[in-house]
Amino acid sequence: MIKVKNLYHSYNKDDIYAVNDISFEIEKGEIFGFLGPSGAGKSTTQNILVGLLQLQQGQVEVAGYDVKHIKDKMFNKIGMSFEQSNVYSKMSGLENLEFYRKLFDVKTRDPKELIKLVGLEGKEHVKAGKYSKGMKHRLTFARSMINNPEMWFLDEPTTGLDPSIAAGIKDIIRQENQKGATVFLTTHNMYIADELCDRVAFVVDGKIRLIDSPKTLKLKYGEKLVDVEYIQDDQLIKDSFSTVEPAEKARLMEVIDHHDIQTMHTKEATLEEIFIKVTGRGLV
Amino acid sequence: MKLWYSFSKELKLSSKSWYFYLELVMAIVLLLVLLFVVPEEFNSKGKEYMYLDLPQVVQDNYRKNLLEDDEDEAVEYVELEAEDTLYPATLYETEESKVYLLESKIALDAITESERVPTVYVHVNDQNQIGFTYYLQGYETQKLQNLLGVFHNRLAGHDVIEAYSDQLEVRSLYQNSEPLNDRENILPVFLTFNGSLMSLFMIAAYIFLDKGEGIIKAYAVTASSVWHYLLSKIGVIITTSIFTTLIITIPIMGFQPNYPMMMLFLFTSGFFAAALGLLLTSFYDDIVQAFGAMYIVIVIMIMPNISYFTPSWDPDWVKIIPSYVMLQSFKDIISIGGNMTYVLVASAGFLALGIGLFVLATYRFKKTLSL
Repeated sequence: MIKVKNLYHSYNKDDIYAVNDISFEIEKGEIFGFLGPSGAGKSTTQNILVGLLQLQQGQVEVAGYDVKHIKDKMFNKIGMSFEQSNVYSKMSGLENLEFYRKLFDVKTRDPKELIKLVGLEGKEHVKAGKYSKGMKHRLTFARSMINNPEMWFLDEPTTGLDPSIAAGIKDIIRQENQKGATVFLTTHNMYIADELCDRVAFVVDGKIRLIDSPKTLKLKYGEKLVDVEYIQDDQLIKDSFSTVEPAEKARLMEVIDHHDIQTMHTKEATLEEIFIKVTGRGLV
Repeated sequence: MKLWYSFSKELKLSSKSWYFYLELVMAIVLLLVLLFVVPEEFNSKGKEYMYLDLPQVVQDNYRKNLLEDDEDEAVEYVELEAEDTLYPATLYETEESKVYLLESKIALDAITESERVPTVYVHVNDQNQIGFTYYLQGYETQKLQNLLGVFHNRLAGHDVIEAYSDQLEVRSLYQNSEPLNDRENILPVFLTFNGSLMSLFMIAAYIFLDKGEGIIKAYAVTASSVWHYLLSKIGVIITTSIFTTLIITIPIMGFQPNYPMMMLFLFTSGFFAAALGLLLTSFYDDIVQAFGAMYIVIVIMIMPNISYFTPSWDPDWVKIIPSYVMLQSFKDIISIGGNMTYVLVASAGFLALGIGLFVLATYRFKKTLSL
């Protein structure tokens, strides 16, 4: 769905690159996470992919279109949800969606259905300028679905949303993905990436440091230990057991069989920990 | 069709914007100024204050001549206030001036002091000749002083003056068209600045509002072109300027102007000005940053006004400033027998320039979408 080869971008057209020799491919139906701290080059890459920034160097193909010679038709297949809400504040939520649906040449979704989907029902006739930050964000998110995009770009889709609404948004992303949408998710929130993405790319200083599935990364970089708290002789004992060493595994089994287990956790690394381990950089 | 959707949406949005109402209010204010502040004809009559210290017979003869020149052939008795004192005077209003005949030298001196205008003391000298003493204020040019000298010696040099006059070529500024009255003559200035050039600033205001809200980016990722978005903005601006122009023009001019030509010219000149505004805005993020460039444009565009009101100052470089062409075109459009060929050529020129600027502006906007 997306093919990027040797992509470079310099804002001042000098040798200081915001994006520096990036290459990756995204398969149809995949949720691909583009992860990195602020200024890593995530937004620059995404803006090039959707034509908001001109392609300077490299090859980019999105939904079968060469981005070098971008065509309006390409956007019939693309949806884009911006991090910064950008809706017409003097129009109601419904009017916003009604207007945008007319700008596509493909069958579009019912704006009322989308309003309901993102939890803005009852507020559809209120001017978007009077919406809260979270409501505007949901409207921007809903707008990105209006043309049933095959390729869906999401820039920090849950930023500024309370946990219950964020959970709803994640569910919608999963549903749309199951219906066939390919998702390009740009975020610095590793928990969302962990929950949603089939594969993630770690981006730092304009370069991709690593691409893999969260599960593989955890297996590769996580410690293979289990932390256990159990009761022995009325005392709370804390211990760690290797899940690889046969002797340790046998000892763990014995503890489980003969003692009262209070807590038990695998010492699986989080994506954030892996990111720091791989890139040597935090996510802020 | 997408262009139409964008245009109708922009029209709806602009009707909710205070900029739209600002334009309407400005048009109404300008109309009221024209109707109630600007007279149909400016009163440019000079005032002359005289005291005739002459024998009664001569005085009567002078007054009789003045009365013949008086517009209503009636003497008006007035009182002039100077230095807190009222002085009686007789007023003769001729086609060219208002002549106040005072009744004493004291009154003349008081008026000279208080009014700060040249006054004339006419008297008989020792040789029984009529003498004219002018009390000038010191700011009069040497040319005026010479003219006064010539005036009183005109008979002596009559032949020279006549020969010189015969060589002078006097051409009317209105060769084919009827002259406009003073109020109508100001109208092209209002139409140029309210109708066409306001387009430049209004579109900048609308674009910067959208830039602030990130609307252009959202539009750019739809299957509609950026030029649709920009052209729909221009369409709204032109529609508004047509409305405001009609608000000002119809009550002042009635059905005299060539309205089809006015619509054509408003369309082309508005398109040019709005496209120029678009190009300017493509270089800046907000109106504060753009203010310097806009200020320069304002100053340049104001210059042709000097030429418009002072036809003797009409250098070639002023003629290439767009507002010069706009002023002349609007003047021709509202005049009886105006030069429509000039208006058509100007319209074609503005359309061609507008298209060029619009293409450039669209290129710039595409290039700077994510900034």
